[in-house]
Amino acid sequence: MFSTGYFLQQTLNGVILGCIYALLALGMTVVYGILRLINFAHGALITLGAFFVYFISFRLGVPLIGSIFLVLGFGALMGLVLDVVAYRKLRGGPEVALLITSLGFYIFIENFMKMIVSPQPYAFKTPTYLNALFRTQFITYRTIDIFIIISSIIIMFAFHLFVKRSKIGIAMRATAENLEVANMMGIEINKVITVAFILGSAIAAFTGFLWGAKYGQISYDMGFLTGVKAFVAVVVGGVGSIPGAMLGGFLLGLAEILPLALLPTSFAEYRDGIVFAILIFILIIRPSGIMGVKEEVRV
Amino acid sequence: MIGLLKIDHLVVKYGVIPALQNVSLEVGTGQIVSLVGANGAGKTTTLKTIMGILRPAGGSIRYRGEDITRMSTPQRVRKEICLVPEGRGIFNRLTVKENLILGAYHRLGEISIDEDIQQTYALFPRLKERESQIAGTLSGGEQQMLAIGRGLMSRPKLMLLDEPSLGLAPLLVQELYRLILEIRQQGVTILLVEQNATMAIKVSDYVYVMETGVVKLEGIPKEIESLEDVKKVYLGG
Repeated sequence: MFSTGYFLQQTLNGVILGCIYALLALGMTVVYGILRLINFAHGALITLGAFFVYFISFRLGVPLIGSIFLVLGFGALMGLVLDVVAYRKLRGGPEVALLITSLGFYIFIENFMKMIVSPQPYAFKTPTYLNALFRTQFITYRTIDIFIIISSIIIMFAFHLFVKRSKIGIAMRATAENLEVANMMGIEINKVITVAFILGSAIAAFTGFLWGAKYGQISYDMGFLTGVKAFVAVVVGGVGSIPGAMLGGFLLGLAEILPLALLPTSFAEYRDGIVFAILIFILIIRPSGIMGVKEEVRV
Repeated sequence: MIGLLKIDHLVVKYGVIPALQNVSLEVGTGQIVSLVGANGAGKTTTLKTIMGILRPAGGSIRYRGEDITRMSTPQRVRKEICLVPEGRGIFNRLTVKENLILGAYHRLGEISIDEDIQQTYALFPRLKERESQIAGTLSGGEQQMLAIGRGLMSRPKLMLLDEPSLGLAPLLVQELYRLILEIRQQGVTILLVEQNATMAIKVSDYVYVMETGVVKLEGIPKEIESLEDVKKVYLGG
């Protein structure tokens, strides 16, 4: 019915979308692990990052390679600002206050973007070297696909090393497990949280660029559903687990592409419905996610 | 006796409910001082306030002659105070070695850390065997050793031990107290909180008995042990 080539092609598409979700899920899971915050504002960073690259590269003429590094810095800065402005004052308060604040900031940023860039989607035209087409016997791909896969692997590997080996990384895991005892060890909790926001936001902003370069279109509200799906990836993988977030991201990417590829085209409009159905299904069989640890009740 | 820690009229409240009322106590350098009393007497609250996890509503805490009442917990850690929390409070999802490394968090980056880890392993050979094991898989006794080992990694001058014998088999409790004496030998001052007071009083230089947020009695172990009602209420006989 379907050729091997078709199947491989769709798998590749799923993996690439999965890379994007996995990168977003990384930042979300780290923040969630420490603060129990579903950071909706994380999605806004995707939008901000995409438009940042659009404006400095396509309007101001900064070479794309340069703007890739600049967008990381920009995302980091926005993460710091969000943490200091929005969240820091709420520490120690009820978790729901943080949640509402993050939703509020998402809405604020989305509407702010709508005002300054207009509700129209923008075409994100990448240079030809990112669009060069390669054909093999089975699959067709572009340079950007390779770029997404390689950069995702590098970021995930670096993030893994950071969390496993570095002083702040170990402190981050300790804080996620037990904030009070982490504090007793002399860990400055605020510093750890700020680092989590900075890293997650830098990656999210970079992901915005990947999204634009891959799908060719960006808009003021692109971050919402993407952000929500990244959180779905977090939950599917197991909340607070970093390998889980990556796995969840890839599963979600495949889950979004493969069923549609194999079903008749009339199912295309159920794309998001299928994703959320999978989430519900996984949560019924494994409430704490695939790699999640059972949450101890916090007193 | 040189005072290392001096608490003066400490008042701590949970919301409006008073947890400590005018608690005053003193710990001299090189001593083992124990804080005994029933559940809910305010012993853990006292330790947490010394560590800066709880903020007092009144009173002061002086440490090495310096007022530390308003200092943050990490600052106190750098002043070489450490708390070994009740229920061990180890990081279950981290390895044994990572737990130890975190004990020395405030001076990470120094070369002496590897040395200290080796010393801790010398004191607790079991921990070396389980170095890369996830701490949550250790037995209760091993977890307690890890908690104390982690505390020592901070090179404390003052160690606050919260119910270290809780849930340990009698033989392990003996071993634990031998260890506590050995730690004191190395020059660490110890403030010990226990509900099972018999052992604690035996090794102490001075004892405070707490009841519902106040210090009810204090004295050297001999005096405390001889009091009939203390025996009845706290020592199980």
